[in-house]
Amino acid sequence: MLSNWQTEIVKRSEIGPYLPEAEFERALTRLVPELVRKHGIHYDPQVLIPSDDDMADRLYQAGMDLFLEMGAYNMSTERRILFSRGEVEEAVAAAPSAVRLGEGKDAVVMCWRGVESQVPCVVHSGPTGTPCSERYHPLILQSCAQEPLVDCLGAGSVSTYMGRPIIPGSPLEILGVQRDAAAAREAARRAGRPGIHINDVASPLTCAGKMAALHPAWGLRRSDALLVSQLPELKTNYDQLSRAAYLQAAGVHIVDLMTPLVGGLGGGAAGTAVVTVACHLLGVMLYSPSYHIYGHMHLLESTDTDRMGLWVYAVGGQALARNTPLLTTTAVYTQAGLGTEEVLWEIAAGTLAGTVAGMHHNGVGATGGSTPDHTSGLEQRFYAQVAHASLGVSRQTANGLVLEILRHYEGSHKDPPPGVPFPQLYEIETLEPLGPWLDLHQRVLDELAAMGLDVHGAWRKVRRERGL
Amino acid sequence: MTDERLAAELKDALRSGDASAAVTAARKALEAQADPLDLIRNVLVPTLTEVGKQFQEFEIFLPELMAAGDAAKAATVILEQAIAAAGKASSSLGTVVLGTVQNDVHDIGKNIVSTLLSSHGFRVVDIGRDVAPSAFLEAARREKAEIVAMSALMTTTRPAAQSTIRLFEEVEARDDFKIIVGGGSIDAAWAKAIGADGYAPDAASAVDLCRRLVGR
Repeated sequence: MLSNWQTEIVKRSEIGPYLPEAEFERALTRLVPELVRKHGIHYDPQVLIPSDDDMADRLYQAGMDLFLEMGAYNMSTERRILFSRGEVEEAVAAAPSAVRLGEGKDAVVMCWRGVESQVPCVVHSGPTGTPCSERYHPLILQSCAQEPLVDCLGAGSVSTYMGRPIIPGSPLEILGVQRDAAAAREAARRAGRPGIHINDVASPLTCAGKMAALHPAWGLRRSDALLVSQLPELKTNYDQLSRAAYLQAAGVHIVDLMTPLVGGLGGGAAGTAVVTVACHLLGVMLYSPSYHIYGHMHLLESTDTDRMGLWVYAVGGQALARNTPLLTTTAVYTQAGLGTEEVLWEIAAGTLAGTVAGMHHNGVGATGGSTPDHTSGLEQRFYAQVAHASLGVSRQTANGLVLEILRHYEGSHKDPPPGVPFPQLYEIETLEPLGPWLDLHQRVLDELAAMGLDVHGAWRKVRRERGL
Repeated sequence: MTDERLAAELKDALRSGDASAAVTAARKALEAQADPLDLIRNVLVPTLTEVGKQFQEFEIFLPELMAAGDAAKAATVILEQAIAAAGKASSSLGTVVLGTVQNDVHDIGKNIVSTLLSSHGFRVVDIGRDVAPSAFLEAARREKAEIVAMSALMTTTRPAAQSTIRLFEEVEARDDFKIIVGGGSIDAAWAKAIGADGYAPDAASAVDLCRRLVGR
């Protein structure tokens, strides 16, 4: 058993079996359906949150078989990094089941939850995967940081620096990253939460750009985190591995980001669930993360709130919660834009599916993360309210609720309401949500309460239990 | 005219993504004196168009699309050889140089476009991901392309599409090629702003756009 796999990973990257990337992909497309059949993984669009423990366990085994057979593909060397079952099982068993995020009075502990758990979710927010304008980015960050139910903050991304497009690898990338890290830290201070965990600065594409976010005074610290990414499916490269190597040595939390594509190389929902489990194992072996982002996405629509996306959350989350100590999080990507009723219903569905499956929550990306400034603190508050109201809810009850919630947005999923950006939803001087956005939030909360979810009271209980 | 039974056999092989069966069916059709150009235009292209629509509707997924594309590619090699042997002109609708822009390593969308363009009769030169502007220019000239197609997924990489077009302008090669863009971070307004000749929001639209641009 090793605490630092980096030298071994490089060795295996150099001497592992050579396979052109296109052939790796085709081998994966052939193996996944075989495993789906062998392990009897069935997607039922009417049962989006299955209560089938045995299927969850079979799914875990299918994901393990996939990872052991395919390994991780190192795009830099065009070789497969292979591991034995014993190595993977040991590393999974040794992975953290609880991590302390942030520092001082603002720190939270994210711990293993289990299926249908009463253990409160840790809720991250921030402009998750959604680009921001230079002008509104600091305000959006503060609107999120000042939400008491938000436990951690994502610094998000801005694609310009002083009005100029940021060219990856150029000095503007370094300067932009430093500005964004400092903006997140300043937003935390202004919100009275200087120690809140900041989970990544998403602007940079290069390794050097990512590392430029770190600074003990004004940037990200050891109590914060940076993402290390997988490439779909089951791929990495030396650039990503180098990030992991640096962050491990620096003692900064690593977050394993995966984006398996529903309808992509893994095929439909069942195959993508198998791939997603395998991706978690890849993350454990290659990156030694503190936690994972379960970031699967519809191949054509950049969302995870359609039926297949919800099922993949529910069944994959259960597979991981029942068979590993791993800490994994939802990242709810909606079709609808900000300020719409549909965006709130989509968030509710994704949050419910993830919570009962044992997951924590990493943030909301409205418009599939495509439209600038479609993030505010209020929908992140709603995300937390639904998460806390879903604690201890049975999978069967949650399934009924999700099917009911789907009726509120499924009809417009292919042609979603575009919504409006942050400055049309918040008073930008006081950073208070405007009346119509607050009213909409309240109305959807009331409708969820009428369905039986304790969205008004559950978060109070969680706060009391945490001693806040 | 192609024998209907043999045409159906080729269609089935394409739909099921069986490259070996597609090659066999193409050979049998040629032995039965079928016109290879007719097979491409009236069997391969319509079948792959139908497969592409199924994919766009999410009735089938990427593995099925890739398998059908591979089968079509394998059959096309046989049919193109027959066309060349008969001294006729290639069936290609034109050459498209395709790549993901500099610094962007996401290529699944680009690969889907490649599959659909190939199966609709274009000669696709896929130059991969993270492609420098100069590499687009060099490939377009080398391959005598009609179209240069660029994909960008990330907001932070889409300026590279603009840099690429600027390079084509700077070396006075802009009018030699049609340049089109697509991908998650790009929309019609951005495409227009950077001076692209066209924008496609998805793979199926990219095929329609390329056909329009080459007048087919």
